[in-house]
Amino acid sequence: MSVAAAGAQGTRLMRVAPAALAAFLFLLIVGPLVVLLLTSFADPKVLFFERLTFTFNNYVDVIARPGTGRLIWNTLVYATCTTVLGVVLATAMAWLTERTDMPGRMAVRILMFSWMAVPPLVFAYGWILLINPGNGAINVLLRGLFGLRGELLSPYSMTALVVISSLSLVPTAYVMLSGLLRNMDPSLEDAGTVLGAGRLRVLGSITLPVLTPGLLSVMIFAYVGMIQTFDFPLVLGANSGIQVLSTRIFLLAAPDMGKPNYGLAGAFGVFLLLLAMVLMWGYFRATRVSERFRVVSGRGFRPKRTTLGAWKPVAIGFFVGYLVLMLLPILILLWASLLPFYRVPNLADFANLTVAAYGRVFAQPTFVRAIGNTVLLVAVSSACVILLSCVISWFSLRARNTAGRLVDLLAFAPIAIPPVVMAIAMLLFFMVSPIYGTIWVIIIGHITIFIAFGTRTMSGAFIQIHRELEDAATISGAGWWSMFGRIVMPLVWVHAVNAWLWVVAHSARDLTFPLILLTSSNVVVASSIFVTWSYPDLPAASALSMLMVGALILLVIPVQIFAFRRHEAI
Amino acid sequence: MLVVENLVKNYGRVTAVGGVSFRVETGDIFTLLGPSGCGKTTTLQCVAGLETPSSGRIEMGDTTVYCSARNVLVPANRRQLGMVFQSYAIWPHMTVFDNVAFPLLHVERRPSAVEMKSRVMRALDLVKMGSFATRPAPHLSGGQQQRIALARALVHEPRLLLLDEPLSNLDAKLRDHMRVELRQLIKQLGITTIFVTHDQTEALSMSDRIMLMRDGRVVQVGTPREIYLRPGSSFVSDFLGRSDLVPCELVDAAAGVVRTPFGILHCVVPASLDRIGPHRVAVRPISVALVKATPGAAPGRNRFLGTLCETTFLGDVVEAQVDLAGFKLRATFNPHVELHEGDAVQVNFGDGMCVVVKDDMADGGAPQ
Repeated sequence: MSVAAAGAQGTRLMRVAPAALAAFLFLLIVGPLVVLLLTSFADPKVLFFERLTFTFNNYVDVIARPGTGRLIWNTLVYATCTTVLGVVLATAMAWLTERTDMPGRMAVRILMFSWMAVPPLVFAYGWILLINPGNGAINVLLRGLFGLRGELLSPYSMTALVVISSLSLVPTAYVMLSGLLRNMDPSLEDAGTVLGAGRLRVLGSITLPVLTPGLLSVMIFAYVGMIQTFDFPLVLGANSGIQVLSTRIFLLAAPDMGKPNYGLAGAFGVFLLLLAMVLMWGYFRATRVSERFRVVSGRGFRPKRTTLGAWKPVAIGFFVGYLVLMLLPILILLWASLLPFYRVPNLADFANLTVAAYGRVFAQPTFVRAIGNTVLLVAVSSACVILLSCVISWFSLRARNTAGRLVDLLAFAPIAIPPVVMAIAMLLFFMVSPIYGTIWVIIIGHITIFIAFGTRTMSGAFIQIHRELEDAATISGAGWWSMFGRIVMPLVWVHAVNAWLWVVAHSARDLTFPLILLTSSNVVVASSIFVTWSYPDLPAASALSMLMVGALILLVIPVQIFAFRRHEAI
Repeated sequence: MLVVENLVKNYGRVTAVGGVSFRVETGDIFTLLGPSGCGKTTTLQCVAGLETPSSGRIEMGDTTVYCSARNVLVPANRRQLGMVFQSYAIWPHMTVFDNVAFPLLHVERRPSAVEMKSRVMRALDLVKMGSFATRPAPHLSGGQQQRIALARALVHEPRLLLLDEPLSNLDAKLRDHMRVELRQLIKQLGITTIFVTHDQTEALSMSDRIMLMRDGRVVQVGTPREIYLRPGSSFVSDFLGRSDLVPCELVDAAAGVVRTPFGILHCVVPASLDRIGPHRVAVRPISVALVKATPGAAPGRNRFLGTLCETTFLGDVVEAQVDLAGFKLRATFNPHVELHEGDAVQVNFGDGMCVVVKDDMADGGAPQ
């Protein structure tokens, strides 16, 4: 009978574990959203845990408000222009590094993959220092060189917002597109050439049509990201009165003065959530089509590279130009962090450079707490995301039952949930719990949001493991833990490290959760940079930014180089 | 050693295995043979414990590892089995030694490091891979991986060795060689083996007994000789080796006389044959002798005259179609014999070589 009990255990794990994971994810993801929905239907003056109320007032308010049309227009214009510009630039770069003989491809790829170390917040502040209408370094330089006057460039316009956001979008889009191009079988193009088509003809009638579904899915994915994005519109748009849905929600839930209007924020949040969900549905449609177009024929082909010839300097110039645009904002923040008071870069001040601001950062208790909180946040959320992702992905792949499919769906759902919406939902969800106002709410929020990326990455890795490798371990007498620990994990750990790194960087750089949930005790580096900049204490904010970027780069670049070596070796 | 009774496995509404029963004697090589989708792999997976059957009973030695009636299920990792997978499933992140040592880490009483080493080396020597112990697993050829997989399946002295199409990924020459070697090794160790294949040559040459399956059911069980020479139905005859299935009517079952489209034929009518048709005569090309017709030759008992209408040179033999009173019969002849298309030929059916079988392929398309 002990045998019978042991036997039941084997299959019970496959039944119980997915069900337990589904319940856990349901609570984590759906729970807060339900509270958000309740709040959006509640009387603005009453919180959901005090008394349940029901009214359509918030939604009526959203629709009736004169600014709402403008808000949606702004959001769509911003997302559309940024996506188009970013994806076009990224496509050009991906094609140059994957399909031409451009030199320095490896360096470009590592830089692109490592860009996640730079928080959008930091990038935006750098650009403010570079082109603000008053003493922006580039404006000052242009005035000096050409004897011009007045505001030449300004970061506080829709155009500037779009350009700066799309520069920052390029690395993400590049990573997705380079994979797409890399996996395209060049024999499809060769077939066209053999059959007598010219180079342009092949590009137009074979390469582009084959890539179109993939390109489309990248565009929709980027578009959803831009609809949800929060940092750039907050930092650059706030000064110019350009509001988008995400910043509007934030300002309603955490106004500079007055009481937060959670009901209205919730109604806007539900609206943004629906918009993102519709777009994600479009994304799935597009990826389904691209699966059908799947041109991955396994390994064994080396993409044929186009010879650039005389165009090589142009291509290199293109990359150098992009690199300059990406590095300038960081360099000027470095400059700002090394001066006691900010002054436009000039030769004379090189004598006055000092690390005093860094000293201040390490001396002041608030900054020290922010750094400590950040380390805790990043360590716990990244570890939890990876552990959960591994278990979730494995069970949703191997347990072919309803719970398994539900787990898969639930884990991916957060990709359609805008972080700003989730942050407010979390705020409301934990309002009456003892962890309210602590760093733990941010940690839980990050786990919820980043689990979608974690499970996608790990599913991709697990799918590559032949089922028989696991079965062989089981037949050899290994129990589930031994099989998972000795066989499965060693085979996917490079993917796990990559996903972990991504979560570390994104958890550290995220401003949405820390800002919406901000209290005096749960401040992290990202929110601290925001607060210190607004205070304003430019040198300290710059020093904090540099510390964060530096720490992430020290982590990201070596791991990326290591991962590339492994990748190339296989 | 192994008893399987009434094994059923359903996937939703699809029945992969529909009530299969068989028994394997200790030390036998027992082959599950059949076309793809016949349920042979699912049956093996149920025996291995990698799939949970829908119902039935599986016994190994004196332990019941699965019984739906008594709600017993021993998980795969406690069944003390060895298995070689189709893909070999050699773990690429380990050395050859670590791969083979893995099962020993999970046996009831874990051996000491010294004993472990000696057992792994013994298993590796058995498959002639002793000198490869420290190699990383990915740096091996297909044949070497197969040997390692075998060593890994044998190192912990399992109760039962399961082989899931272990030769299908090897190239033809190596396959011929491994077939012989594998059988010798298994026989030398005396381990009871279940072997799954869709390849009739492998099945015939390696097995003690063969179970032929079709659509989740058992069609025939027997020794290779029995199954090949005394097929129980037209499906068996067609699946194992090449044969012409000539439609026929029983004239005198006791005397072994049937009527075929080209005349009366004397052949074997098994006592177990269901007398209700339709029937066919299974004619193997080797059971038919083809010679040039001498002038004035007359038909006789099991001797017919026809015209050679199509030949295909295959090297070892020449394949030919003979027109026998309008019926196209397939036969072969020695390539040294000078026979040409259009020649008049004499066809002799070997006495006792052709068997009447029940025609069970009517729904599966008429055989050629």
